[in-house]
Amino acid sequence: MANYLDALSVLILVSSFVLVANKRISSYIATFRLQSLLIALTAGMMGLQSLRLEGRVDVLVVGLLIVSLKVIYIPNLLNRTFAQVEYRVEKDFFLNIPLLVLICCGLVVFSYFSISTIAGINAGTINMQVVNSVSVVLIGLLFMISRKKAIGQMVGFLVIENGLFVTALFSTHGMPFIVDMGIFIDMITAVLIMGILVFRINEKFESINLHELKNLRG
Amino acid sequence: MGLFLLAVTGITAVLFLLLPGRNLLHGLSLAASAGLLGGAGGLTREVLRQGQVTYPALGGFFYLDGLSAIILDIVLLLGFLVSVYSVGYLEAEFRHGQVDERRLGIYYFLMYAFMFTMMLALTVKNMGMMWIAIEATTLASAFLVGFYNDKLSVEAAWKYVIICSVGIAVALLGIIFLHLSSLSVLNPPQLLDWTALYDQAEALQSPILRLAFIFILVGFGTKAGLAPMHTWLPGAHSQAPSPISALLSGVLLNSALYGIIRTVAIVNKNLGSSAFTGRLLIAIGLLSMATAAIFILTQKEYKRLLAYSSIEHMGIIALAVGIFTPASIFGALLHMINHSLTKSMLFLSCGTVLQKYGVKEIARIRGVLSLLPVSGPVFLLGLFAIAGTPPFSVFSSELSIIGAVFAADRLLLGAVFILLLALVFMGMALSMFRMFYGGPRGKLVRGENNLPGTVVLMLLLAAIAVTGLYLPPDLQQLLLQAQQIIIGGQAHAG
Amino acid sequence: MNPSSYILIQILTILAVAPLVNGIIRKSKALTQKRQGPPLLQMYWDLYKLLQKSAVVSETASWIFTATPYIVLATAVAAAVLVPVSTLIIPAGFPGDVIMLVYILALGRFFMMLAGLDTGSTFGGMGSSREAMISALIEPSILVSMLTVGLIAQSTAVGEMMAAMKLVTAPLLHPVYLLLFLALVIVLLAETSRIPVDDPATHLELTMVHEAMVLEYSGRQLALMELGAAVKQLVLITLLVNLFLPHDQLLTMTGSGAVLLSVLLYLLKVVLAAVGIAVIETSTVKLRLFSVPNLAALAFILSFLGFLQYFVLGR
Repeated sequence: MANYLDALSVLILVSSFVLVANKRISSYIATFRLQSLLIALTAGMMGLQSLRLEGRVDVLVVGLLIVSLKVIYIPNLLNRTFAQVEYRVEKDFFLNIPLLVLICCGLVVFSYFSISTIAGINAGTINMQVVNSVSVVLIGLLFMISRKKAIGQMVGFLVIENGLFVTALFSTHGMPFIVDMGIFIDMITAVLIMGILVFRINEKFESINLHELKNLRG
Repeated sequence: MGLFLLAVTGITAVLFLLLPGRNLLHGLSLAASAGLLGGAGGLTREVLRQGQVTYPALGGFFYLDGLSAIILDIVLLLGFLVSVYSVGYLEAEFRHGQVDERRLGIYYFLMYAFMFTMMLALTVKNMGMMWIAIEATTLASAFLVGFYNDKLSVEAAWKYVIICSVGIAVALLGIIFLHLSSLSVLNPPQLLDWTALYDQAEALQSPILRLAFIFILVGFGTKAGLAPMHTWLPGAHSQAPSPISALLSGVLLNSALYGIIRTVAIVNKNLGSSAFTGRLLIAIGLLSMATAAIFILTQKEYKRLLAYSSIEHMGIIALAVGIFTPASIFGALLHMINHSLTKSMLFLSCGTVLQKYGVKEIARIRGVLSLLPVSGPVFLLGLFAIAGTPPFSVFSSELSIIGAVFAADRLLLGAVFILLLALVFMGMALSMFRMFYGGPRGKLVRGENNLPGTVVLMLLLAAIAVTGLYLPPDLQQLLLQAQQIIIGGQAHAG
Repeated sequence: MNPSSYILIQILTILAVAPLVNGIIRKSKALTQKRQGPPLLQMYWDLYKLLQKSAVVSETASWIFTATPYIVLATAVAAAVLVPVSTLIIPAGFPGDVIMLVYILALGRFFMMLAGLDTGSTFGGMGSSREAMISALIEPSILVSMLTVGLIAQSTAVGEMMAAMKLVTAPLLHPVYLLLFLALVIVLLAETSRIPVDDPATHLELTMVHEAMVLEYSGRQLALMELGAAVKQLVLITLLVNLFLPHDQLLTMTGSGAVLLSVLLYLLKVVLAAVGIAVIETSTVKLRLFSVPNLAALAFILSFLGFLQYFVLGR
């Protein structure tokens, strides 16, 4: 069982790498969908395990919720929001993609060394799972700051939330149920609000290139 | 009673969307905020008497102690004053054609939803729920920042949402680690409960707790406008409608600091000393003050300048919390109150100035004192007040903080602190004071447009003048209660 | 088993099966595209036809051009000896080292690049430079992956690696092996010139890499080049499937019957791998040349992460 979870946590990490290595907007959304599916799978497996051992259904319910929200609803929402924007492929970057991928690798090493020095998370398997999950958060952050289009920031934010959820899942077997629910509601609302704001940005600035948003500096 | 407050806010928020007619909306807002203020007064009295307010029947969902009572009082007091001001402000906007009736309803809806989320953040015991409420404050205020829907507002709203959401996500990582550190100690019903965490603080796992603190500091610090995560603040506070800026600066920043303070209490109790948290808080506090001092010198818009001043004062509070002696905590809490009152007074008077002149740049405004017979002097005195001039309240709280710094043998820190305060004063004086003198250009008419607002301004001015000299005993007792909660040591009063 | 019979079995099996793999891939691609496609044994007929024709050689070509097809085939066959098709036939102490494997293949590739430049045609030079870039970017991934497996197996001999992997239950569910497997799949696609790195069926100037280098060859020299490429492809597939999908632990009997069964299972795995490659080829597009570094970086990171996970987990 622990093997499956290990493999899943690694696949989730790999999906975040694939996200950073991508240039097409439709690929961002598809990779996010894949990652959410993997996370839902993880939550489902842990939920079944906790159901068998402790009789708790909350992790399982949360897993189902992820499937409906992050795998189905949000990617469709993103696709619809960005259907009107002309950009399909991002063309210029601050740092080129191979360098970004190498930096992501550095982030994984960094989170490994930071977390392994903390006593208390030293039980072998949890260690690597937590490191992978925290790395997903850091990679999401890197993704957000390395992209110049608004969709990059939205997807980056969602990846960060994904990473946080897996961290909670692997280290503490999920947060208290009501907290999880609240987090989901927050996240959905945030995505909706960001979507509306992107629409307004597109209206006012005629593009979703965030470099245009430079009037409020200094 | 406590739940009643939350319910009232929630219901009125929704009602704003449904009611037609400006007068009905204004009336509802005034009634609701007055009722909330009364409720706050009642709750505070109970807290003074019993030490905390909680309803066991709900499993500890609602919880109000000295610390949260102070901040809740600020929220509801300013909420009331801002809604009074808003009546006149929105009427003037309506006359100029900037808003129509539907937008008015949306404004009130968003404002009360915003107040609801802030009240929620302050009245829950569960750190996870607190996180959710603080994230919700960002979402509720996003469209308030972008209310005028022009290029700059949309840009400000976008940066606000993105930076604060990322910050809050980092804070969530901190909360997850906080949860992790307590797994071996607490049982499921008590997980993430602040009181349970605080009681068992020594049993929590220190290394994980330290990591949790760093993330929570960075995360909630983003929301509180501490440097270097402050970049959203000048834009958001300057683009929002002025009454909302008053709420954002005076109330929201405090709520974010509240989260940090709660965590600091736990961590310091666990580690047994404030060295770890103190170092981080003092560093961030000084950095915020320095950033504010530098940027204030180059500001061309008055609202942005005031926003940087908010960053400075949040830095002061963070620094005082970092020192973590009883006197400095007392000073920090007092400063929270004083800063909120003074800063909101300033933003409200900015609103009056903006409505009169129609421009945001300092260079294009002259003769405020002659054109606005009441708001003008209030604005000027407010600038003196926020920069720390006696006899205003900000001076007395800054003085007590400086005293605490020197009493804790941090002489170099105290010197740097005073230096930065002086720099900020200079910056503000150089930039702002020429707005007030000289004669008005163009065909602007002398006189106040926003009568209720002017009354509010005068009330606030009186408040900050009085509290600078005399601290009401009830307030003092409340502050002492809050101080005990944070530092511990003595038993709870009552 | 003594070394000479081992070598014989290896060479015969791999030489015989290599063109079939190409046939399977092409047929699967055609079927997914709702075409009939060429027959499975088509490459055998092509090789037979080409071997009977004489070669036309440019006047400006040197000995490198004529020597390269033999070198390519020789290195491919030498590599084939190093990668056993079944762990049951490995002679004791056989020194089939993985680093030698990588660099034998690199030798063949080096001569192919030189031959592309040798004729002085522009297509050849262009193909060579592209191939140089791609192979340089891919090489770290294969080395890191193989050395990690070597660390786990405590040896760099491919045979011993395969024997060690036999003992792991469900390797693909294990995070380390999963990552290495994914990295090696990308390496396989790059080394065998498949989509998304290079299109084996195109002769457009913009898109050729491997095809550009063999463009000038004809007759029996072309047959040797094609066979060499097919053998190299099968060697890499063998490496992949035998390491990460070991089958020998399922066999309970011993003796020559076991060997036969093992080889049959191996062939089954090869067929599955070929179909898998075809599916990947059909479902992705060929990357533009300057996007290939992105893919190569991804492969490297996957292999490095695999190493890191092994380093942390210790198993």
